[in-house]
Amino acid sequence: MNTLNKKFGGKMAKEKMFLRFSLSWRIQHFLLMLSVTLLIITGFALRYHDTWFGRFLIFIEGGFEARGTLHRISAILLFITAVYHLIYILFTKEGRREFKELLFRKKDFSDLIASVKYDVGKDEKPPVYGRYSYKEKIQYWAFFIFVVLMILSGIVLWFHNYFFGILPKWFFDLSQALHSSTATLVLTFLVFWHLYLVHLSPGNFPINASFWHGYVSEEWLRENHYLEYLEVKNREEEK
Amino acid sequence: MRLLHLTLIFLLIEIANAQLKNERCFICHGVKNFGIVEQGKFKSLYVSREDFESSVHSKFACVSCHVDVRVIPHLAKPQKIHCLQCHFEGNVVGAPVTAKPEKYKESVHARAIAKGKNAPDCKDCHTVHYVRRPNDPKSTVFKANVPELCGRCHTSIKEEYYNSIHWAGIQKGELSSAVCTDCHQEHDILPPEDPRSSLNPKNVVGTCEKCHSDVKLMKRVGVPVKNPEAYKESFHGIALKFGVVRAANCASCHEYHNVLPSRDPRSPIHPANLAKTCGKCHPRANENVAKGKFHVLPGEKESGIVYYVYTFFKWFTLIVLVGLFTHIALDLIGHLRRKRKKSEK
Repeated sequence: MNTLNKKFGGKMAKEKMFLRFSLSWRIQHFLLMLSVTLLIITGFALRYHDTWFGRFLIFIEGGFEARGTLHRISAILLFITAVYHLIYILFTKEGRREFKELLFRKKDFSDLIASVKYDVGKDEKPPVYGRYSYKEKIQYWAFFIFVVLMILSGIVLWFHNYFFGILPKWFFDLSQALHSSTATLVLTFLVFWHLYLVHLSPGNFPINASFWHGYVSEEWLRENHYLEYLEVKNREEEK
Repeated sequence: MRLLHLTLIFLLIEIANAQLKNERCFICHGVKNFGIVEQGKFKSLYVSREDFESSVHSKFACVSCHVDVRVIPHLAKPQKIHCLQCHFEGNVVGAPVTAKPEKYKESVHARAIAKGKNAPDCKDCHTVHYVRRPNDPKSTVFKANVPELCGRCHTSIKEEYYNSIHWAGIQKGELSSAVCTDCHQEHDILPPEDPRSSLNPKNVVGTCEKCHSDVKLMKRVGVPVKNPEAYKESFHGIALKFGVVRAANCASCHEYHNVLPSRDPRSPIHPANLAKTCGKCHPRANENVAKGKFHVLPGEKESGIVYYVYTFFKWFTLIVLVGLFTHIALDLIGHLRRKRKKSEK
């Protein structure tokens, strides 16, 4: 704990910190964050090529063809991340446990209703969440589906010369429409759901740095993931 | 006394007509087989009086241009005359002056002449003595006569062009259809390598689009008007716009002179020929490229499955946005209410 106290300075030193995200989890998140950000910047440059914003993005990306190269490099990074994640949830104990936590349960639906009721003032007490609340599960599964769609349609578009001999012409048009439509959805979820929930919402603003160092405060954990907090406490007592 | 008067009037008329009358020229030049032998070849010096008199210069005397002819018969060969003798800025005879001669000077033809090659100048297209207005169907530069005119030298291209849908349109009387000058320009004909040329790869789309984005015209001739727009949104179109000239432009697939609709089996865009056409750049292309539509705009119903997927995502994104905003709003309202409650306590 001593090193941690140093890390967070005097202010947070009094508080007990819990490691919430393992190193592997953080590496996956970092790779995803990096590749998706690059893909969005280079992708939307093409999408909005006829606006000043698109032209500006293409300019800072080093021109039209460099933009394409950068997009493909970022795509490789995303692909590596996806493969890494699949190996993580299939072949590691920690990954399997995390994946199970991310599956939807009946409780998530009742939690959603309870959370709305709490926000509008019908209920006095907030719903209590486990390791992942319905909000985080929506995030995970939305991005899971998006990444699959983007990788599949992206591969068709990238290797169109190869697929020309195999797939009908309309499949390329479909992939293109799917790729750009899904990109908009990704950006929507990223800004209005993920960024709001983890950084911009009251209680987290301006930044929740646990994605970087993995630690959250006891108070934060108790407030946001009460069931997880209880579990962690139990485990500590057993020791 | 009366006789004297008549003589005086006659004399006055003679003085007024001191300039040589065209009639006197036509005494010789109006004879069909009038000519000279020059360097062992017969050279016709015949000028059709009828054609001259229906030309734009009919009101002028022959000697207005052939200024060095003062006595008839003239023994010396008159000097070569040039259109710019009259058609220059500030001329007093009122000859129309346009930028066209200046434009012509930039053209491939003018440059070839400057190098001593055989190429057309004004008279080769506009004729010497029978210049008519371009909108006169008898004019050599009347739209429907242009292919024949250019084809006098560009013979093989003329044959190619006569196979095209553009020529078929002209023959049907659709004079908005394209002839040589619509794509190559009239006077400033530049080589395609010149970035200013209407046929430079970067400008081809704009050249075709002049007509093919014209809603009224395309409706009249039954050609989809949104194709240029769809092209510009395609990977080919965007790449070309950003200077990747190896990307396909209109002519890469549709050809230049023998443009034909996809229903024509000779057309490079006929379904049976698509594999070969796309194969020019995409070596693995086969009959699969014919399965689907071209110039696809995802927002258009004709795009089939692409339209439905696009529309689904459009509405889905909108619903998601509303849902997420509602959730954020509720979350913020909840926070504010609880904060107020806390401070009240």
